[in-house]
Amino acid sequence: MNPILSFVVILIGVYGLATSRNIIKSVFCVTIIESATILLFLNLGAYEGGLVPILTELGIEIVDPLPQALMITTIVIGSTITSLALMLCIKIFHHYGSIEWKVILRGDK
Amino acid sequence: MMVYAPLLFLFLPVVASVIVYLIDHIWVRRSLFLVQIMMLAMFVLYAQFLTQHPDQNMLVFGGWDETFAISFYNDTLSLAFVGLSILMWSVLLLYTFKSNRNEPKFLFFFMFLEGIFLGLLQTNDLFNLFVFLELMTVIITILIVYKKTGPSFKAGIFYLLINTIGAMFFLLGIIFLYYVFGTINIQLIKANIHLYADRNIVKLAFIMMISGLSIKGAFFPLFTWLPKAHGVAQSTISALLSGLIVKGALYLFARVAIDMYAGAQYQTQELLFYVGATTAIVGVIFALVQKDLKQILAYHTVSQVGIMVMGLFSNSYLSYIGGLLHIFNHALFKSLLFLGVGVVVTKFHTKKVTEIRGLFRTMPVTSILLIVGMLSISGAPLFNGFVSKNLVKYDFKYDMFKMALFTIINIGTVTSFIKFSQILFGQKTQSVIVTDRKQQSAMAILAILCVVIGLFYKPLFLFFFNLDLSYVKLFDLQQWLDYFLYVGIGLLLYHFVIKKDFKPFKAIRNLSISFENANYMFILYMVFIAVFVFMYA
Repeated sequence: MNPILSFVVILIGVYGLATSRNIIKSVFCVTIIESATILLFLNLGAYEGGLVPILTELGIEIVDPLPQALMITTIVIGSTITSLALMLCIKIFHHYGSIEWKVILRGDK
Repeated sequence: MMVYAPLLFLFLPVVASVIVYLIDHIWVRRSLFLVQIMMLAMFVLYAQFLTQHPDQNMLVFGGWDETFAISFYNDTLSLAFVGLSILMWSVLLLYTFKSNRNEPKFLFFFMFLEGIFLGLLQTNDLFNLFVFLELMTVIITILIVYKKTGPSFKAGIFYLLINTIGAMFFLLGIIFLYYVFGTINIQLIKANIHLYADRNIVKLAFIMMISGLSIKGAFFPLFTWLPKAHGVAQSTISALLSGLIVKGALYLFARVAIDMYAGAQYQTQELLFYVGATTAIVGVIFALVQKDLKQILAYHTVSQVGIMVMGLFSNSYLSYIGGLLHIFNHALFKSLLFLGVGVVVTKFHTKKVTEIRGLFRTMPVTSILLIVGMLSISGAPLFNGFVSKNLVKYDFKYDMFKMALFTIINIGTVTSFIKFSQILFGQKTQSVIVTDRKQQSAMAILAILCVVIGLFYKPLFLFFFNLDLSYVKLFDLQQWLDYFLYVGIGLLLYHFVIKKDFKPFKAIRNLSISFENANYMFILYMVFIAVFVFMYA
């Protein structure tokens, strides 16, 4: 897969952040950026014909294992952030009766 | 044995926090002070050890090769920050213990954050840095929304999302660096950065990392999260946020943008200097029109961050040191002010600067401590703000424009603290005042440190950092006259302009920046930096 594609997905996420008026949409735009970042890194670390970096026998050709190790951490962090943000969304909905940025930031400095 | 002390700095608070959360007993919670004392002792021992064995400053985990393994690295810069953080956490624990001693959850997150922050300061691995940054964001969000009020939730989600976006772009930068250098070890990249500095992808990594960190550091167009978060958080968390967490981003600037990219020579100093200057001026303007005590202090954090950036990205070494010293001093006096304001707000039940009067007659001790903080932040001689502001000024001696900018910032700071100090005057309003010795002693420690650094900066710096600061003269008549001139102009400005509260001021005060616009600004900021770097670097 072309790395340019990941960039396109990142740009979609950024576009969404700059235009969406709904908090949940913003949360998922962050998630989209994050997924695209993960894809990009995995993509840069891999090459055609490389196998999964699990050594069943010696001498097989594997892809770079470091990006995979790092990205699994990023996935964990991303799920933490998403769940925390969605929890906050629920609380905001209970308090304000809405999850629009415009409504909740009204009268705010 | 002492080689493993950095690990202990990270895990001791984390383990202590888990124990506090699991065992619900008051004596367990009181033992947190013991943990802090142990940390301080350990820090002193480790600092001594490092001065004797300067070669053992690297700690590689797991016995792996240095290129891939996570490692901790300590130099004078990170050690100074570690010491400051441990000290600040001890003081804040002392301050917050009375109101939060029956809140094991709060203490859990509070202590956990200390471990994370100390890890962030010491790590030598870019990805590890990212993990710590994100963990810090999550925990700070939880601490901001801890009171579970409506405004705190919206401030929390604003903080969480915008800082996550910043961290994501930081991660993209890390990925590009890994792609080029094949390692994420900061020291190795630093040694090899000149080899590929001309490649566009390395420049792109630089741009993305700087933009991501700018959000964390609350630079000019990106500081929208900071006043929101400060307005709703507890005073302890406000003090922590502006005293240390924002400084964490500046530390990373010094680590990554200045130190790691030193070999690349991108000539971005001038650009970032003016970003800092704009931040400082805009912060001061916003601070001048605020009416909420905490908001005034929050916008002052923005403006002081600008001064630190001005120092860090100046051409001369003394100004760089001044920027770093200002980070320290600001941590001391801004925490002091926030803690003092916390005491005032709990007693008076209002945050409006126009409604609180007669503080000096009601709470003399707190007032004196607040006055120390105000004098320090406005750069009065004999206090620590004077030393660092003078050092930052060193580079502008022959540059009229920069000097004028700096003078404007100073006058703005003095004016808004004249406004702030109006709460001191007036008749006694409250009769029954219960003072808390722990809170007062916590603030007293900070105030004493402010004065001590302001008076004995020369021997202190010679002893700790082997630096000669004799450039700053305490009894230079010129400096004293300058300060009194600033105060005079500030008084005039306050009485004839600020106090009148003209319409434009109200407009600035009610200016609300939506989340979408904050993101637009981030994109614009990144494009701006990118254009500059690709054209001139």
